[in-house]
Amino acid sequence: MPPAIHPVDLLRVLRHQRLTPAIVFLTSRRACDEAIGSFEHRQLPIPPTRSAAITDVLDHMIAEYPSIADHPLIPTVQRYGVAAHHAGHLPSWKIAVEELMRQGCLDAVFATTTLAAGVDFPARTVVITQSSVRKDRDIMELTVNEIQQLAGRGGRRGKDYVGFVVVTPSPYIDLGPIANGLTNHPEPIDSQFVVSYPMVLNLLKAHSIDHIQPILEKSFAQFQLNQRADAYETKLDDVETQLETYGQRECADWIAQWQSFSLAKKRRSHHRRKTQHDSPEISAQLAFLTPGRAVELSKDHAIVLRQYRSRGQGAPMLTVMRSGGRIIEYPASAVTAVIDEVIDVTEARRFPWCTPQSLNHAIETLEQFPARLRRLPIRVDQDGADNPILTETLRDEFPCPTCPSRPACQKDHPQALKLRQEEHRLTKTIHAMRTELWHRFQQHIEVLQKFGYLTPTCQLTSEGDWARLIRINHSLLITELIRMGAFEGINASLLAGVLASIAHDDDRPASFAGRQQALISTLGQVRKVAHSLSAYEEPPLLRLDVAAIVDRWIAEPTLPWSELIRATTMAEGDIYRLLARTLEYLSQLHGLRSTHPGLADIARDAMDLMRRDVLQELP
Amino acid sequence: MTNDALANQLAGLSVRLLHRLAKNRVPRHFRMGKNRLIQTLLELPPEQRAEVETALASLLQAPARPPQPPKPGKVDKPKRQPDAVSRPAPAEQPHSVPAKPAISIQALFEGIGVPPPQPFKPDDWQQEAIDRLATNDVILSVPTGSGKTYVAVEAMRRAIEADRMVIYTSPLKALSNTKLTEFTQIFGADQVGILTGDRRDNPQAPILIMTTEILRNLLYDAASGEIDMRLDTLGLIILDESQFLADRERGVVWEETIIFCPAQARLLLLSASIGNPDEIAAWISSIRSKSCHLIQHRNRSVPLRAAYLDPSGKLAPFFRTRDIARGRGFALHPETKRLFANYEDQTLSPRSKR
Ligand SMILES: Nc1ncnc2c1ncn2[C@@H]1O[C@H](COP(=O)(O)OP(=O)(O)OP(=O)(O)O)[C@@H](O)[C@H]1O
Ligand SMILES: [Mg+2]
Repeated sequence: MPPAIHPVDLLRVLRHQRLTPAIVFLTSRRACDEAIGSFEHRQLPIPPTRSAAITDVLDHMIAEYPSIADHPLIPTVQRYGVAAHHAGHLPSWKIAVEELMRQGCLDAVFATTTLAAGVDFPARTVVITQSSVRKDRDIMELTVNEIQQLAGRGGRRGKDYVGFVVVTPSPYIDLGPIANGLTNHPEPIDSQFVVSYPMVLNLLKAHSIDHIQPILEKSFAQFQLNQRADAYETKLDDVETQLETYGQRECADWIAQWQSFSLAKKRRSHHRRKTQHDSPEISAQLAFLTPGRAVELSKDHAIVLRQYRSRGQGAPMLTVMRSGGRIIEYPASAVTAVIDEVIDVTEARRFPWCTPQSLNHAIETLEQFPARLRRLPIRVDQDGADNPILTETLRDEFPCPTCPSRPACQKDHPQALKLRQEEHRLTKTIHAMRTELWHRFQQHIEVLQKFGYLTPTCQLTSEGDWARLIRINHSLLITELIRMGAFEGINASLLAGVLASIAHDDDRPASFAGRQQALISTLGQVRKVAHSLSAYEEPPLLRLDVAAIVDRWIAEPTLPWSELIRATTMAEGDIYRLLARTLEYLSQLHGLRSTHPGLADIARDAMDLMRRDVLQELP
Repeated sequence: MTNDALANQLAGLSVRLLHRLAKNRVPRHFRMGKNRLIQTLLELPPEQRAEVETALASLLQAPARPPQPPKPGKVDKPKRQPDAVSRPAPAEQPHSVPAKPAISIQALFEGIGVPPPQPFKPDDWQQEAIDRLATNDVILSVPTGSGKTYVAVEAMRRAIEADRMVIYTSPLKALSNTKLTEFTQIFGADQVGILTGDRRDNPQAPILIMTTEILRNLLYDAASGEIDMRLDTLGLIILDESQFLADRERGVVWEETIIFCPAQARLLLLSASIGNPDEIAAWISSIRSKSCHLIQHRNRSVPLRAAYLDPSGKLAPFFRTRDIARGRGFALHPETKRLFANYEDQTLSPRSKR
């Protein structure tokens, strides 16, 4: 089975079931173009009268938009009544296709899903072939909103009794999301509010800093944050009510009081564990287990040669000499009794931990020990392990041990502490939600002050006063470039090329032959500046190829559109958008004519040179 | 991890993350739908399965939003996280009532055709919107193709008659051009102007078309008192396609425009169906002097039906029922289920991999 139905077969079925005209949404521009191309191989022509009607409409459109006269798709449209409509085409071509569709001349338009919003014409049927789309290199499921946006084009008011969605599988389909998208309620809208440098400058131009916060509070972002904060407030009230049920205790803030008390207790025992986490018996013994001491190990006697602590656990250990001169390590706890007998042993720093003479002497003495020796009685102080100083402070600082509330506090503390922590967390979250936008705004203020666009009292400096007129992406980069004189004496085509590479944020690959040295070095400088600003503003792509395209369009005022297209692999719709966007950026520079007349003039020149041919056709 | 536990965790993931897990492990994963992906991931050999489990664990631990380069000023939204743990997979609604028999393909295609021309009569909601605009801001949230433009045009007409100026904004230049043609046909060329980033055609006309960004910039200038436009005579601002409020990059411009909209001008928001128009109406009411009236409905003016077309050319109804029901779950047509299962089997079998 083929992975998807052939476009020609698809159209045949649609026609047969009277489901035309249809909009067929495909995954990519290429898929749309190939679909159209495939009609040439599998002939499915329309009646001559329809072809004539199409020619008629197209002639009208060509009179208005000469750029479409030589469009390579025209013969296919005339012969088969199908067209492609996607962002790779010129706007004028898309207008022509829309007009053909409105006049009922076409059976099918193949369009990309990504530009559903730009498809502003209805049809009887919408064909859906995918349930996910590629977005920023990820594959994302279509949302309910998106699916309804697609499906919504089906069924024309006044022209159809009923509209259709035809789902046909392709490699990118799963039926669940589509069925869900067709039947479910659309997702709610979330605010996407961002603070930008132009926003800060323009607000501070019109309002003093004291009036900013109330303005930010009018945003949908704050409205939604407030709703969430309100929900948290309710939770907070609830927590506070629960905390009240614990009633009065001896001290005002008993949870904190008990918390630090138990913390101190823990620290104390921790402290103890570190140096002497031994049992009271052992620690009492240790004082006596010095080299030369006789001890009882199970039924046998031994002489202690060394006392030390094990590396890992810090457990008290002994090196002893047992009968026959065997030198063995034992944990101190293995000692069953301390004998009231110490022999002379001269310690050494290495095995066997005493001088050879001492060792011999010890061996001899051990041989001669009687079977029963007097044991040393060792007094074990139950509290003795406690550090007396710490115990003192605990008693002094904390009333808890002797407080009448103690049993109640001890019992309630774990639960109460949880509630108290929740209370703090909620209070903090609520505060953050109420002040978040203001913080963002202040962060931007700080940056603008640092760069000298704002005074310390948040008034616009003379620089800020013109910089606020640059209201496009990468505004900080552009104003900084202007300030450092990067555009002084630049020629029109180079200026436009640089702006194009700042404006263009699409990384769809393309190539363009004929790069210029001047462009390369200028872009290199711009890249350095952009990089130095990267902490404050995301650097643009600064693609050389798009800069070169725009540069050439201006530098060669007689270059026809078709030739520009031929010099690159970029689609002409993309080039059109690139140039249109560059025009917009240039016009913002032109807006600086009262402070930067020279630059404004160059921008004006560039704009005049750009607006010709296809770029003249539409406003 | 048991199969069931893993399957459960996978089902909670968005398709985007599933594809990430499948990358380099499942050949041609991009061809699969969610269920299929989960199935294939479960059937991986043990080593790969272990890798998937580790990757999954780190996905679930990682903050739902991938760490972004510090994009200055983006407000973090803790509430709705579309990514890591997504809404539960839409379950097919079990039919508790004894199910009606699934419809036939003939019944699905019944009644196709062109209705005879009818004299134009505005719908009630259209009339209500126009009337409300005399005193209130209005947000209109109705399905695509319902006739929002009629409301816009009538509201413009009333504004012009009252010697007030109208600004109409759309999110895309292409749509602006279409509307220029449309409004010019209705009101005449001298009545309609267009403003773009670099061009002003007929800027003295009472109806001005522009993108929302251009309007926002005008409002900035007006606020600092250096406007070369007659905003004091502005009677109406129409924001078409206002669901763009949710656009990640440009949504803020719609917010600013609404916040800075002059008090004397009425606001008309035209939007496709969205989930929370009431919330937006409540917001606008809270910041403007007059309350914002919400007009919404979800009924399509032309009923919509759905069909499934197999690559073999076979057609089947997509759902068991003829019309598409809203908000009550769904049941796929048994024939569609069968055809699609068959399609998946054949196109995903090892034989078809070249
Ligand atoms: N009351 C009505 N009776 C009959 N037809 C109508 C009525 N109102 C509008 N129409 C027609 O409905 C069609 C769709 O209208 P319109 O373009 O305004 O839809 P829309 O709501 O703006 O859709 P979109 O979401 O695509 O922007 C138009 O052809 C219009 O003439
Ligand atoms: Mg519309």
